[in-house]
Amino acid sequence: MRYIKQIGLVLGLLAGAAGVAQAAGDLVVYSGRSDKLVKPVVEAFTAETGIKVTLHSASSTELLNKLRVEGARTQADLYLSNDAGNLEIGGQLGLFEPLPKATAESVDARWRAPDDTWVGLSARARVLVVNRQAEDVDFVKSIFDLADPRLQGRLAITNSANESFVAGVTVYMEAAGKEKTRAWLQGMKDNVGKSVFAKHGQVVNAVAEGKYAVGLVNHYYIFRYLNQQIKDTDKDKDVDKAHEAGLVKDAIRILVPDQGADGMGVAWNVAGVAVSKHSKHKDLAKKFVSFLVSEKGQKIFAEVNFEYPTRADVPTAPGLVKDIKVADVPMSKLGPERGATIDLIEAVGMP
Amino acid sequence: MIKTKIGPLGTVAGMVVLIAAIPLLFVFYSSAQLDAERWGRLWSTRLPELFGNTLSLAILVCLGAFVLGISSAWLIARRDFVGRRLAIWLMVLPLAIPTYVFAHIYSVLLDSRGWLGSLWIATFGDAIPVPDLYNVFGVALILALASYSYVFLMVHAALSRSNRSLEEAARLHGATPMQVFWRVTLPLLRPAIAASLAVVVLHVLSDFGAVSMLRFQTFTLSIYLQMSGRFDYQAAAGLSLVLVGLSLTFLVIERFFRSRQRFYSGAQGALIRPKPATRGELVWIWLWLGHIMLLAVILPLAWMLDWTWAAYRDQLIGAEFWGYAINTVTVAFLAASAAMVVALPVGLFHVRRRSLASESFIQMSSVGFVLPGPVIALGLITFLLAVFSPLYGSLAALVMALVIRFLPLAVQSEEASMQQLTPSVEQAGRVHGAGPLENLWRVTLPMIRGGMAVAWVLVFIDALKELPATLILRPVGFDTLPVRIWIEASEEMLELAAPAALMLVVASLPALWIMMRGQAASR
Repeated sequence: MRYIKQIGLVLGLLAGAAGVAQAAGDLVVYSGRSDKLVKPVVEAFTAETGIKVTLHSASSTELLNKLRVEGARTQADLYLSNDAGNLEIGGQLGLFEPLPKATAESVDARWRAPDDTWVGLSARARVLVVNRQAEDVDFVKSIFDLADPRLQGRLAITNSANESFVAGVTVYMEAAGKEKTRAWLQGMKDNVGKSVFAKHGQVVNAVAEGKYAVGLVNHYYIFRYLNQQIKDTDKDKDVDKAHEAGLVKDAIRILVPDQGADGMGVAWNVAGVAVSKHSKHKDLAKKFVSFLVSEKGQKIFAEVNFEYPTRADVPTAPGLVKDIKVADVPMSKLGPERGATIDLIEAVGMP
Repeated sequence: MIKTKIGPLGTVAGMVVLIAAIPLLFVFYSSAQLDAERWGRLWSTRLPELFGNTLSLAILVCLGAFVLGISSAWLIARRDFVGRRLAIWLMVLPLAIPTYVFAHIYSVLLDSRGWLGSLWIATFGDAIPVPDLYNVFGVALILALASYSYVFLMVHAALSRSNRSLEEAARLHGATPMQVFWRVTLPLLRPAIAASLAVVVLHVLSDFGAVSMLRFQTFTLSIYLQMSGRFDYQAAAGLSLVLVGLSLTFLVIERFFRSRQRFYSGAQGALIRPKPATRGELVWIWLWLGHIMLLAVILPLAWMLDWTWAAYRDQLIGAEFWGYAINTVTVAFLAASAAMVVALPVGLFHVRRRSLASESFIQMSSVGFVLPGPVIALGLITFLLAVFSPLYGSLAALVMALVIRFLPLAVQSEEASMQQLTPSVEQAGRVHGAGPLENLWRVTLPMIRGGMAVAWVLVFIDALKELPATLILRPVGFDTLPVRIWIEASEEMLELAAPAALMLVVASLPALWIMMRGQAASR
């Protein structure tokens, strides 16, 4: 008898589980960014409009797969990605609803889809982090100098499966040609041997400790590190003021590569958002997007993670390098060329 | 006398197996669309490396788990010493720590600023670089630490059940203790060792967490990358098919060897009592066990506590955190209970009617374990959307995926306990007028209660830790602890990953307690 009761209980629970409708908010966002970076702006939106937003977080690529397989059955109203490549692929698969012209055009043309299916929310640059004590690094002016044998054993990079790494390689391939990029990858591979890092944060740490002379990272990891240093040394100090006054005398400096008149410019990538084609709340979703690209929304984005706002009229966080020359490769290339980039990376055998 | 009578039991078992095989059908279907040319390219470019990596990893992990598991099981089963009960607990605790947490913790600890990294530098200076984990040895170390407990558990159980008479006979005939161990004890343990190493190998073949954190190209990682990075479902399915082939070959070989090894002994034989350890032995025992515990339990736990404390201090642990914990336990509870129930017909059918059909049912039900989680999730999504769409996006879909993934664990342990069902006992029940169902409730189920409990616990613990399928299939906004760990760790927010990992360990404790109590009672 006891078993019958127990099993009955289990079956009852299962049946209940099947029927449970998730208590989701008014809007569902498939989010490929860390909650910590998205939540502040979501909370501001809810406070202003009373519209509740549920974040469904996972990796950007995985969520795009999910969106694609679900098709019309999806519960997602919006898709937020940390990589322009995914947004562009999604746009081409017809998963997104075009945004209103007014919303799209408030964002710099470089940082949105040509067909307005997605807009960028915050931009990041692929830059170099250099140890101040490192000798014989003055020759490093360009990304391509990382292949120089003088950096043998002194170069720190992430593994080549990193989404930012792949997107960067796509840009260099488009801007400088496939052969040059292949040679560059080969040279970097010779320089790093088999030791690469899993995370950008580890690259910055290793360079700061003097284990490596130069590292290739997204710019905000350098600022996260510097901020942590300030916080650790003096808890009461105002971080923003410290940056502005140049108080940060740390072991590392930032080097923006490929600048100057004939420089290629740095590789950019953006995190962005799109409205799902099969959303049942398209108006609300569009309202959310227009909040994200509004001055208020952009300001929050710029503050939480030291990224560049995608609106020209919103100031960057204090301490960030301004007026950077950017490689002339449209974001829309990051999608269709990703396969070719991975092929190239694998052909070289990057770790 | 091969009779293929299916009967009602077989029909039910068949239905369970059919549902469990949904992802496999998806794999067949998708890989059927691969043309010969692309198969050829896969064979020549990808497969040699993947075979090499996966097999060498499996062998290294088995070696590691064998050494760690058997040595600790023998010491604990055969010697009585201070802290023995505590030792048993600490030996099974690694089961509560997911492989991706292990990988993550050790890559942080071995960082030049981490505890182990800075200790290494203090000891050896800069002359010898700190070893890193991004190679086959590093991944093998992580997986061996995460899985040796399976060997420990099964071998320890077998040792505690084993009979004194055989070893005593050997001693009487003049064998040294070493000879007794190699010639009598170890051969008697062969079924337990084989079964536990099989579980270890299956965990290695299906592991996604450690290999993806450490970027070691095995089948699961490569399948995942094909699928999510390139949207190449067909290539992913093709690779999955090869992986399934590999795993089934292994399972069939293992079963073949196991089926020829049955050891019987009279029920009256006295059990071996552990000998009190001498003082010298005590030192060695704790030195050896202590090192294992340090690496497998104490260091990871200390790391979790340290970062959890940091998170607590910064007030990062909010109310939603308890929500994640409740979600995780709910899903694991439902999955474990459902798996325990649906495994019954499959196991019973095989024990009662040993036939080609029952054997193939068992093999088919094992498929879930070897298919990578993302593939199971995708197969299930495709199936549900096409056939039974109301279920999609609900908790039930997630529970279904977890049951498919972990069904083999349940089937294996229930089947093992059903081996003890002597037909005569059931026949006696029937003779006394019980119908088949009453017989099931009143005779069969009580007899295999232990096996069912073990099945429940094994599935529960694995379901608690499950990541890849949960990431894809969970209802919107339904976050579990593993999902949070993964999200926070991938954004390098360590202070948020640690409390979730710690919570996972705490949630597994009651389940481990049930299992350990069951083991103690069976002695």
